[in-house]
Amino acid sequence: MLQIVNFSKTYKGGKRAVDGLSLEVNSGDIFGFIGHNGAGKTTTIRAIAGVLNFEEGDILIDGVSIKRDPVYCKKVTAYIPDNPDLYEHLSGIAYLNFIGDIYEVEKSDRRHLIEKYADAFELTSNLGDSISSYSHGMKQKLAIISALIHSPKLLVLDEPFVGLDPKAAHTLKGIMAQMCKNGSAIFFSTHVLEVAEKLCNRIGIIKNGKLVAYGPTQEVTGDSSLEDVFMELVETKQP
Amino acid sequence: MKKVIRLVNVQIWAMLANMLSVGDLKKKKVNVIYAGIVLFTVVLGGTLCYYAYFVGSILKAYNSIEVLPSLFMAFACIMVLFTTLYKVKGTLFGFKDFDLLMSMPVSNGKIVASRIMLLYVLNFVFVFITMGAVTVVYGILARPGLIFYLFNFLAVFLLPLIPIIIASVLGTILSFISIRLKYSNIIYIVLVFLLVLVWMFLPFSIDTNEALAEASKAMADRINTIYPLAGLYSKAVTQGNIMSMIIFAAVSILAFMLFTWGIGKIFVKLNTEVMTGSYKAAYKLGELNISSPLMALYKKEFKRYFASPVYVLNTGFGMALLLILTVCLPFIDMRDLMGDVQLAVSLKEFVPLIILFCMATTCTTMASVSMEGKNLWILKSIPVSAKTIFASKILVNLTLLSPSVLASVIIGIILKFSFIDELLVLLLVVSFALFVPAFGLVINLSFPNLTWTNETVVVKQSTASVISIFSCIGLVAVFYGLIKFTDNFYTGALLFICLIWILNIIIYKVLTEKGVNKFIKL
Repeated sequence: MLQIVNFSKTYKGGKRAVDGLSLEVNSGDIFGFIGHNGAGKTTTIRAIAGVLNFEEGDILIDGVSIKRDPVYCKKVTAYIPDNPDLYEHLSGIAYLNFIGDIYEVEKSDRRHLIEKYADAFELTSNLGDSISSYSHGMKQKLAIISALIHSPKLLVLDEPFVGLDPKAAHTLKGIMAQMCKNGSAIFFSTHVLEVAEKLCNRIGIIKNGKLVAYGPTQEVTGDSSLEDVFMELVETKQP
Repeated sequence: MKKVIRLVNVQIWAMLANMLSVGDLKKKKVNVIYAGIVLFTVVLGGTLCYYAYFVGSILKAYNSIEVLPSLFMAFACIMVLFTTLYKVKGTLFGFKDFDLLMSMPVSNGKIVASRIMLLYVLNFVFVFITMGAVTVVYGILARPGLIFYLFNFLAVFLLPLIPIIIASVLGTILSFISIRLKYSNIIYIVLVFLLVLVWMFLPFSIDTNEALAEASKAMADRINTIYPLAGLYSKAVTQGNIMSMIIFAAVSILAFMLFTWGIGKIFVKLNTEVMTGSYKAAYKLGELNISSPLMALYKKEFKRYFASPVYVLNTGFGMALLLILTVCLPFIDMRDLMGDVQLAVSLKEFVPLIILFCMATTCTTMASVSMEGKNLWILKSIPVSAKTIFASKILVNLTLLSPSVLASVIIGIILKFSFIDELLVLLLVVSFALFVPAFGLVINLSFPNLTWTNETVVVKQSTASVISIFSCIGLVAVFYGLIKFTDNFYTGALLFICLIWILNIIIYKVLTEKGVNKFIKL
């Protein structure tokens, strides 16, 4: 579902945020992308979502290069950034309907899906209010609902559990698991290693823009915990 | 006081950086800012000097030169009043870094003082240039004593205070009224529009048939009656009356202190209400309206436009004025309205000039990309091409420009234009309507500012908005120049239409090729 081939990104000023990253996420996978602050996680995620322009390497979604056909890739992908800045001048329902229109979600499905996910995240009664009146967590929930209502094949999330209350975090984990059972793929970054260890069947650890560990969670962790593996990897000096 | 100055300092530099669409201010960019300020001062100061000399020479010939400082003082005060009225929401209330400022270990009073000082500094620059120009010209024409220079120098620092207070009080009242109602932003926009219109049409009650000198004198008398501080200022600077100067200074400073104290009392309450809006939490899912992606973007863009009073007030005023003029046209004499202008241009030249000028000031796309700000990730992550996004932004601008087509038809009918004249005016309007949005968008893509904290900076003070507005108004001047150069309205208008179509082809090509690449790289 997602193929990252030798992807690199250098920012103005010469900072190489990601260096020759290659990995694959298949349908049914929940892929946890782990790394310290500034390791290159958000850069990679923004490039997958088509938000960040890049020159080196390629990213293929459902077999299609995001450089060649970005509209198709975005059509099958949903992206939730770490800090969901949404249109504050719209109400919650107007935003969801806007997303429904953009992704051309059928009228009958749209109503049903909005109801299903808004109820799951206990946001239905707030949908008529302006987004400007929402708390950070409510905005996060709205962004998640907007990502789910068009039934994406690939769900890309940057720190999805930050700002969510425990119940909403539990709900999201359940939905992620269900989506993978239905054949979607999920790629997400997190600093909560326990969540990654429990939820993900595959893991990638990025350090200074380079992938330093990658594979099935069991293989990466071995007999140790993910936290131990992560600490060992990030504290090892690169040659 | 140190903290207040530090806060003002930070806000001014952040604003200047935003104006030039630069993030961190490196030495080279600071130099660009200085160069820009000097250029602005020279151009504005030069224009005002020329204008003051023109009016002053006539006044001197009629032995009324003492009116000149009060006239320019009134002009400066009116400008401060208008610009502050637009800025109150966004500078004093509803500004984006409110949370950050309020979390700092600085008292509310100091934060309020820093915001009001920011308004003062912004206005002071304009007042300083205006009064500097009139001081030079009055010095040359009237040869006043030293006391004039001394009092005028002191007065420059005091002049902006009272207009800032009046505009801030009006702006605060409007904010208070509007936030209690459902469509608060729309109501705020309408209220400010009405206030500005009343102010604009007030001078029409003055008899404009008098000679310029007499009219200026009458106007100065009227200003002194409406605004007694102008009379005090006039007495102080032209007659060297120390008592008038003391009263003028005392009233200005005391009123300003009282206002700062008063606004400090409601600052947090009003900001909380302005920024949070209504919150009901009682929604029940109902029927959903389905739209195409383009229509959804168009609707979103339209709502975004009307959610920002400063955006609407700065880009919608031309069209609102044109509509009012069209509706009022059957009841007014156009030749009266044109006044002295009718000597230089005919009615059929004047009408398209006015319409094109109103259109030039209605360029929403000059800020529509920048206005996305932190929301840009949404547009960049949705499955819609950049061209469709551009189309939605252009369509909103075209919708707002559409009254110009209607106005040109109605005005043509009322003024009994010939079929050819009407057709030509329509062609001018349609051609220019296609140019303005696309041009604004290209400029905004070239000079984007996505890190703003105050919408006013993007809409009024950014590089993109300055280039767009001045270029569009410049093109209207080109239209007038072509008519004068060819000495024939038809030849001039046709040449202008050809020019606009050449520009349209270039602009749309740039937009769909380079513009798309620029958007992708944002």
